[in-house]
Amino acid sequence: PLRHQRPSFCIKEAVTFINAIDVNKFSRLISRIIQKLHLKGERTFSEDEEQKLQTALSLDKQALDLVLETTAFILEQAVYHNVKPVALQQQLEAVHLNPDKAEMFSQTWAATGPELVEKLKNNIFAPKKLEYVGWQLNLQMAQSSQARLKSPSAVLQLGLRKEDSEVQENVFADFNHQELLEFYNKLEVVQGQLDSLT
Amino acid sequence: MSSSHAKDFSFWGGRIPPEIESMSKNLKDVDQELFRKLMKAVVSSLEGKDCVSLMKSIAESTTIPQDRLGHIVAGMHRVLSEAIRIPPSSLKQEAFKENLRELRIPEDFISDFSSVVFGNRRSALETATSTNDPHLPALQDFKWRVDVAISTSSLSRALRSSVLMQMKLSDGSFHCFEVPLSKFQELRYNTALILKEMNDLEKRSILQIQD
Repeated sequence: PLRHQRPSFCIKEAVTFINAIDVNKFSRLISRIIQKLHLKGERTFSEDEEQKLQTALSLDKQALDLVLETTAFILEQAVYHNVKPVALQQQLEAVHLNPDKAEMFSQTWAATGPELVEKLKNNIFAPKKLEYVGWQLNLQMAQSSQARLKSPSAVLQLGLRKEDSEVQENVFADFNHQELLEFYNKLEVVQGQLDSLT
Repeated sequence: MSSSHAKDFSFWGGRIPPEIESMSKNLKDVDQELFRKLMKAVVSSLEGKDCVSLMKSIAESTTIPQDRLGHIVAGMHRVLSEAIRIPPSSLKQEAFKENLRELRIPEDFISDFSSVVFGNRRSALETATSTNDPHLPALQDFKWRVDVAISTSSLSRALRSSVLMQMKLSDGSFHCFEVPLSKFQELRYNTALILKEMNDLEKRSILQIQD
């Protein structure tokens, strides 16, 4: 969802609007918001959809923005602190959200929350990430300086993607048997370290 | 029928390369000291070093004209390059010497050639000449780090581990990137798989045939 500066909104006002929304309509709203919560820089609703929502919920643009922002904010906080569904419901009722809406938040969170947390964990940014591993095993028979080789050589292809880029950069590296063995042994050491973390 | 047809093969392949032929014709009046100086320069050049000044000083130290020296040096270069190409298991020292005897190269000079081709400087020469061959970059330096993301702006308790890799390749390129756990497993699995395939390949009979 498109993030603005943390709005200095009055949560009371938002709660009033949310409470007024029909339960079924709100259910669809909250489902869509939580689905798109993990996406960076993407609008939850298109401009067109927002227009339609304004009409359907009888809210002007400002009010609708407030409702969407607040709903998203509540869910983000729930994710951040990994709040239990029951606690979430209680806290929302404490700020005077109607029990039916509070329960809806709680149910949606219980159902979709864990999946959202997983998505966010996998989305942790890094300047460049390894996305693709490919390889080819060749038998080198000769080269300009060497006849009658018969030496196996492996080509490793690593597909790297920069954060916020669709383009994958390919890195190719050549290994003979000994070099590949050394590389593998290092990977085994890394694995050992990873195992010691769990 | 020339006597070379009676042999299994000559290390230079089919016809006698012109450089080698002209070298053998220009070795008259060349003493061993001069021969060895020239050989040293040629080996140096094969190792990739610059030997212009070395050649100049050799040319100045002798009365033998430069173009004759040129023929000798070109022939030496050819003899050594061709001989080093062939693995020692295929080209034995005696066969190499026999080939050179056919060209009527003096025995002392043959020994000098032989000591380069079959001596302990050979592997250095092989490494030096192979750097000119086309190849993909090799992994020169590999560093890694295991990271654990404790919290992020979205999750106060993320606790997600990942591997950070830093690779320097032989072409000078440098790559630093994160490897998510699942990708790391994929990389490790595939590397093991290639190693297994390499082992299987090396055991197969085609590689056991000696030629």
